[in-house]
Amino acid sequence: MNKKERFFKLLKENEFVFLDGGMGTMLQARGLKAGETPELLNLTHPEQIKEIHRLYIDAGSMIVYANTFGANGYKLAETGKSAEEVISAGVKNALEAADGKALVALDIGPIGQLLEPTGTLKFEEAYDYFKEQVTAGKDADLIVIETMTDLYETKAALLAAKENSELPVICTMTFEENLRTFTGCSVSSMALTLEGLGADAIGVNCSLGPREFAPIIEELSKWTTLPIVAKANAGLPDPVTNTYSITPEQFGEAYAKLVPYGIKLAGGCCGTTPDFIRALKKHLSDKKYQPACPEIPAAVCSAGRTVVIDGPRIIGERINPTGKKLFKEALKRNDIDYILGQAIEQIHAGAEILDVNVGLPEIDEKDMMVRTVKALQGITDLPLQIDSTIPEVLEAALRVYNGKAIVNSVNGEAGSLEKILPIVKKYGAAVVGLTLDENGISKKAEARFAIAEKILKAAVDAGINRRDVYIDCLTLTASAEQESAMETVKALHRVKEELGLKTVLGVSNISFGLPNRELINCNFLQIALANGLDLPIMNPNVASMTGAVRAYRLLANIDKNSVEFIEAYGGEKSAPAAPKQGDTHDLMYAVANGLKAEGAKITAELLETTDSMEIVNNMLIPALDKTGEDFEKGRIFLPQLIMSAGVAQAAFEVIRNHMISKNAAPVVKGKVVLATVKGDIHDIGKNIVKVLLENYGYEVIDLGRDVEYEAVLEAAVKNQVKLVGLSALMTTTLGAMEKTIALLREKYPEVKIVVGGAVLTPEYAEKIGADFYAKDAKETVDIAKRIYG
Amino acid sequence: MAGVSLKSINRRAVLRWLGYGGENADEKVTALMDECEKKVLAAVNGRYTYRIFDIEENSGERVTLKGCSLVLTGKSVCEHLKGCTKAALLCGTAGAETDRLIRMEQASDMASAVIADAMAGCAVEAVCDAAEEDIGRSCEGMFMTWRFSPGYGDLPIELQKQFLEVTNAGRAIGVFANENSLLTPKKSVTAVIGLSAEKIENKRHSCAVCNIKENCTFRQKGIRCYE
Repeated sequence: MNKKERFFKLLKENEFVFLDGGMGTMLQARGLKAGETPELLNLTHPEQIKEIHRLYIDAGSMIVYANTFGANGYKLAETGKSAEEVISAGVKNALEAADGKALVALDIGPIGQLLEPTGTLKFEEAYDYFKEQVTAGKDADLIVIETMTDLYETKAALLAAKENSELPVICTMTFEENLRTFTGCSVSSMALTLEGLGADAIGVNCSLGPREFAPIIEELSKWTTLPIVAKANAGLPDPVTNTYSITPEQFGEAYAKLVPYGIKLAGGCCGTTPDFIRALKKHLSDKKYQPACPEIPAAVCSAGRTVVIDGPRIIGERINPTGKKLFKEALKRNDIDYILGQAIEQIHAGAEILDVNVGLPEIDEKDMMVRTVKALQGITDLPLQIDSTIPEVLEAALRVYNGKAIVNSVNGEAGSLEKILPIVKKYGAAVVGLTLDENGISKKAEARFAIAEKILKAAVDAGINRRDVYIDCLTLTASAEQESAMETVKALHRVKEELGLKTVLGVSNISFGLPNRELINCNFLQIALANGLDLPIMNPNVASMTGAVRAYRLLANIDKNSVEFIEAYGGEKSAPAAPKQGDTHDLMYAVANGLKAEGAKITAELLETTDSMEIVNNMLIPALDKTGEDFEKGRIFLPQLIMSAGVAQAAFEVIRNHMISKNAAPVVKGKVVLATVKGDIHDIGKNIVKVLLENYGYEVIDLGRDVEYEAVLEAAVKNQVKLVGLSALMTTTLGAMEKTIALLREKYPEVKIVVGGAVLTPEYAEKIGADFYAKDAKETVDIAKRIYG
Repeated sequence: MAGVSLKSINRRAVLRWLGYGGENADEKVTALMDECEKKVLAAVNGRYTYRIFDIEENSGERVTLKGCSLVLTGKSVCEHLKGCTKAALLCGTAGAETDRLIRMEQASDMASAVIADAMAGCAVEAVCDAAEEDIGRSCEGMFMTWRFSPGYGDLPIELQKQFLEVTNAGRAIGVFANENSLLTPKKSVTAVIGLSAEKIENKRHSCAVCNIKENCTFRQKGIRCYE
């Protein structure tokens, strides 16, 4: 019997499986000071640790957690001990204490640093820390990943556990009374993601007492078929005395009330002792395990948002370079901000899921996809649909995606099914199945339906739940194959009704080559919705399209009481009055007054009669100079300066698009690389500098924040820039700034470097080898002017 | 550990951070602030945690606390805690969602981002104000100093990681430090408050302990970053 079988045997043979209680609590009672590293006691005081394990086993614990919670490379760095040493000692102590009477879990807690995007620890680095722990704890009977508040970190740990051991894995996360973790992870997102990734049991631990656990466990029981774990604190701590609020009896009583929500494994966390486990056992002794067996709906999620597909949901299609010149240019420039802009526009327009396609032959699609997924999940909690034809790209994206994504797509070809489905299964995603195969796309609904059946069967055989298979019956262009539009709808209807699967359809293709495409698209969308379309892939920025979905949801009685519809349109004011004659302003006025839309409009009009360079040099720049001067003199303040800059940015965007559409090189006065240095995440100042530089016609290569030294050098050399701007907020990151400068000086001596940031001074800037110190964004522009003229 | 729900943001403080001094915002900026305030209040998940320790020794160079592995080093924190018998170690945060809001705003509109950033900073100060009141209640009758943070004077910012360990801030409110001792979520604060049975000389927040006072753009304009 292997360890996984043994774990499940334990679950099968016992009504409830009892875990242990607090380790830190027991150690503090034995003199451990606040802030000391309890895991070191595995080496220095093994008998004390074993004694604690034995006390729990005597109290009834069937699984004890080894004293390895914080034994990771990051936390132990300053102790001089390796994770390997501390963990193997901890597991050994526990195994000796258990002596076959209980199972021993390798206990893995959070690393102690937040992951990107809130922190600076990379997902891949987190994985490496966890991998080291998993490998060191190989002698344990199971792995417990606990007290997690970040779904992303939990995913890194779970992947590390699954990929580097055969042990069963329990994951528990820590929730607040608002049913969210500190990083905003919801209970449903946790369940969908971790069950998808192959955890063997999931649940909740720490932060709250068992009474406060009830609503969290209740919610969890609706979203998982896995055994549920509860490991609560002894109530809440008192900050002055550091004691907890409830007694063992109260603890046991509260657990008895969790039984109806399907708890299977129960133990204690902070503040609990063997007495709590004893009381727990007593209060559950006359109870029966009541598995929840929920009907889990089709759903996808990010960490913070679960989108249940219980009616049509809009998948935004705009993050896709196909047929878009500007998008292609942006990909070649590595301009992630452009992609974020496409995302934000769709979010505001009503998208509920975002399709992400960054495929372009000239670029490294995998690298771009990973960076795009990471950047998108830094700003939005809309779930993503990963869209690529290359399996490696799909896998790389799914790996770094924080939640349960959709894979777009697999098709009925044997090769596609074989390559894509195992990836979908491994990462617990949903998948779009295209109803085409080796013979191409059939004209007939029957043939497409047959391929849908084939895809479903292959997916289920690969271990994918049927509710996670979404079928795309494929839209063909009506201008070329007019007879096929209704065949698509017919196939879709059958898939929905006969297979009971969710359906997906790219809508916009239908009108290709026809005039008034919007009219065709909108009507086709409505026909498809009425025939059972769940997931239209469409342009949500077109108001009539989004409106059609919202109206359908209202009419189909999905949007109960028209709540969403009223929220979307109820506050709509009647169209703004047309500007009065004689009320038109010039570009200078628009810039000075922060009138973005008007500035863009005026620029577009000017371009019909005026040369773009003339607009830039004779109108935009003088307007900006004026606001810059007003800012320096204290006549206007930072928000106004940036609003003006926003107008100029909009004007530049119009000019840029104009040039690209005419195949002319856009106006660029010079390129500047900007970065917030390694280790630093405070980038708002750098971003203000970026806006202002762009205003003055400089192309900014923005490397973002927490940027490696080499990445700065690489971008500077690749783009042959004359100026690099570096920012750092804290004294602790000035060292990284100095190192970046040193590297630039050594490898690219001709470049000039300007630095800025709260703790910098002109003297310090000189000391670390910068050419210039800029006290604010305006001064950086002045410096750029001096360099580029 | 406790949650703080904020009803509004201190506009005067926000304007001060944005460099306005005593000036009022114009209509357009005020409208933008109204919009930002709604978003910030929706995003902020204000939380704080603290622990109160007896001061074991204040040598003038370092302060040791009873039952606590963290040693506060430097003359300035010793001066700050002079005459105090206890020290409250406090950590407050506006939460991870606030950080995301600011990232989102930076990608869509920098003017909003700058305002939201300043507002989030004010929000975390309000969270710490609530914590301070709480500490005052739990130590009734004692006098309190103002909030002194790692990085002020010569109290090393590198203490952050250990500071968070001893206050259990990671588990309690989700605040961590990165390898460069930057707090994450960004809008988080740690601070030491001294407690004394005797009246404390009215030591107030001042520029004296600030390490960037020589180069401070606020001071150059004749204004202060604090009230």
